Amino acid sequence: MKRVFFIVVWLGVALLGAGAFGKIAFDRGEPLNATWFVVAAVCCYLVAYRLYSAFVAAKVLALDDTRATPSERHDDGRDFVPTNKWVLFGHHFAAIAGPGPLVGPTLAAQFGYLPGTLWLIAGAAFAGCVQDFVILFCSIRRDGKSLGQMAREEVSERGGFIAQLAVLAIMTILLAVVGLVVVNALKSSPWATFTLAMTIPIALLLGLYLRFVRPGRVLEASVMGVALVLFVVVAGQWVADSQSWSRVFTLRGVALAFAIIVYGFAASALPVWLLLAPRDYLSAFIKAGAIFTLAAGILFVRPQVLMPPLTRFIDGTGPVFAGKIFPFCFITIACGAISGFHSLISSGTTPKMILRESHARFIGYGAMLLESFVGVMAMVAACAMPPGIYFAINSPPSIVGGAGDAAATTISGWGYPLRAQTMSDLAHRVGELTLWNRAGGAPSLAVGMAQIFSSTIGGERLLSIWYHFAIMFEALFILTVLDAGTRVGRFMVQDLGGRVWKPLGRTGGMPGILLSSAIIVALWGYFLYQGVVDPLGGINSLWPLFGISNQLLAAVALVVATTILMKMGRLRWIWVTLLPMAWLVVITMTASYQKIFDANPRIGFLAYANALAAQIASGKIPAEKIAETQRLIFNQRLDAAVTGVLAAMILVLIVEALAQWYSILSRRKEPELHESPYVATRWAADFSGAAHGDD
Amino acid sequence: MRRAAKNTLRFLRRFWRGLREWCGDAAYESYLRSQGTQSGSGRTLTPAEFYVEQLNRRYSRPSRCC
Repeated sequence: MKRVFFIVVWLGVALLGAGAFGKIAFDRGEPLNATWFVVAAVCCYLVAYRLYSAFVAAKVLALDDTRATPSERHDDGRDFVPTNKWVLFGHHFAAIAGPGPLVGPTLAAQFGYLPGTLWLIAGAAFAGCVQDFVILFCSIRRDGKSLGQMAREEVSERGGFIAQLAVLAIMTILLAVVGLVVVNALKSSPWATFTLAMTIPIALLLGLYLRFVRPGRVLEASVMGVALVLFVVVAGQWVADSQSWSRVFTLRGVALAFAIIVYGFAASALPVWLLLAPRDYLSAFIKAGAIFTLAAGILFVRPQVLMPPLTRFIDGTGPVFAGKIFPFCFITIACGAISGFHSLISSGTTPKMILRESHARFIGYGAMLLESFVGVMAMVAACAMPPGIYFAINSPPSIVGGAGDAAATTISGWGYPLRAQTMSDLAHRVGELTLWNRAGGAPSLAVGMAQIFSSTIGGERLLSIWYHFAIMFEALFILTVLDAGTRVGRFMVQDLGGRVWKPLGRTGGMPGILLSSAIIVALWGYFLYQGVVDPLGGINSLWPLFGISNQLLAAVALVVATTILMKMGRLRWIWVTLLPMAWLVVITMTASYQKIFDANPRIGFLAYANALAAQIASGKIPAEKIAETQRLIFNQRLDAAVTGVLAAMILVLIVEALAQWYSILSRRKEPELHESPYVATRWAADFSGAAHGDD
Repeated sequence: MRRAAKNTLRFLRRFWRGLREWCGDAAYESYLRSQGTQSGSGRTLTPAEFYVEQLNRRYSRPSRCC
């Protein structure tokens, strides 16, 4: 009877999800209500978690709760801390949820809501969640080893080195692109710039408090910090209204880029307790609050989705970024469906804190489902505004013909009616000077979020406050990624550079710290600057490059996972990781090829460089602009080279893995697994964490 | 009624404990309770030392994602 009830309930959930999906996919009448998106996503997640993740846990990985996890065997209260599964879920989710699932879907909305939504849900269920879950399991079985260490041991020495290089490459591109998103969000916005600038002294204050006044009292410090941040969001309006102060905080793109570069260097070189950690605390609380508020807002307001399911830009002529749905929708969505970076978290802190193997399913698979849901909400927020406004905010001036009437005419000509006055009114209502040409996803997402929030609390009166709250929320946790990433990048540079020149490798010595910080900041700072001065809008070239590097890292993780499954003798089930891996290789290789060699200058780096060179040769470029154009040509060729190197790295790794797989399958070599030996757990089945002394 | 109040109180207590663990507020208490510290194999760190040491460790590896 219980079994019949179970089948009926899950059949009902599956049918409801299928019905909602059918509505999203095939409805071509009135604008859709956002509730359909929520229902489709939640039902699919429930079914995927209940059935597919259970299958992976039981058949593919055969999780074993009698086995002691690293947190039990090495419990030191520092790295290895047995942690309640709900708390660890929160930790893991806070670590994996960055700006990617917010910005990626917002940019991919240029294809319409359908392709992005489908990939966000299906990609997460069959690829992203599987990657996070399997890598977490592999790392638990290896005492919390990192992806690079596992690649070295299970695939080959070279595989490990490639993984390490891939991480450094993705880090560089990631930091540049998130920096660019912040620049485009703050450009010419004194209110937003002031608010974000003020988070630095607030973080310093908290840092001093937590270090000297009440060491480690994170909760009380964060409450004070969040209150101060909310105050400066409101105070930003007074700054924007003051003529003299508004001038101080109205900065152009290049100035903002340099400010971010200096900030990144300071955050990397200063003691971590002073600036980086307190900012992270602030960001974690505001991130959690904003994401839950957005979810509640969407459910409460149930906005209409005004973007069509498919736009005319599926042909690759999109103004936000050029390229067809395949492969660019997948590359652009990136983290909301699958993110290679997650494999670093799944093989970093989380495996050292997990109580039992079975928790890996809830934490690894479940947290990624939640991240995918954040992506779906971002898609809804972006698609809930009239498409004309969406394209006006996200298109660079070179595509739409600047701002005002000319741009409105261009966008209306695409079939998305827009009046210049509408944009002026909207900018005025949200307290900005202009909203034209603010590519990067953050401002359009902030407009969407502000409209949803203000429909819930405060109405039109609070629209500008909500807009700047949303910008602050996005920029704050983007900068947290930027400063934490720069610091990790510094350690990587020290690790790699220390092999060449020993003083660089000394993590405690000031010259090594300063030099390695300068190197990593110079690496991403160069790409950031290049993006800011790019006439096509840096997002057009940098976001696909970021997507490619991120998805390549995911492919690396899935190669490692497939090799381990093969060595474990799970040949029958290796399609679970092999198919997503093959899919990622196909999309990243296609995207890399198109980004390097496509004849369309908006897509192919080399074609753009050649087009610029031809313009110089034909005398179309004025003499004073020749040096600048030559720099642009160099940048395009550099981007082509970086893309080529990334693609070559994954090809080498795949060849290494194929050789390994062949020797295992042909029984030329006995598969050697590097798992830690089995140790039986001493914990009772209902033990739920060391910190819960009474459990 | 009393049972419901008791359950609510228990839930709130657990939530509070979970929140403190999640944000790192209870990290030092966990450290003092850990086997490594209990075994007395090394010097027990003060709250300030532990706080700085823990931050240095956490932010030397990828801890925030894209």
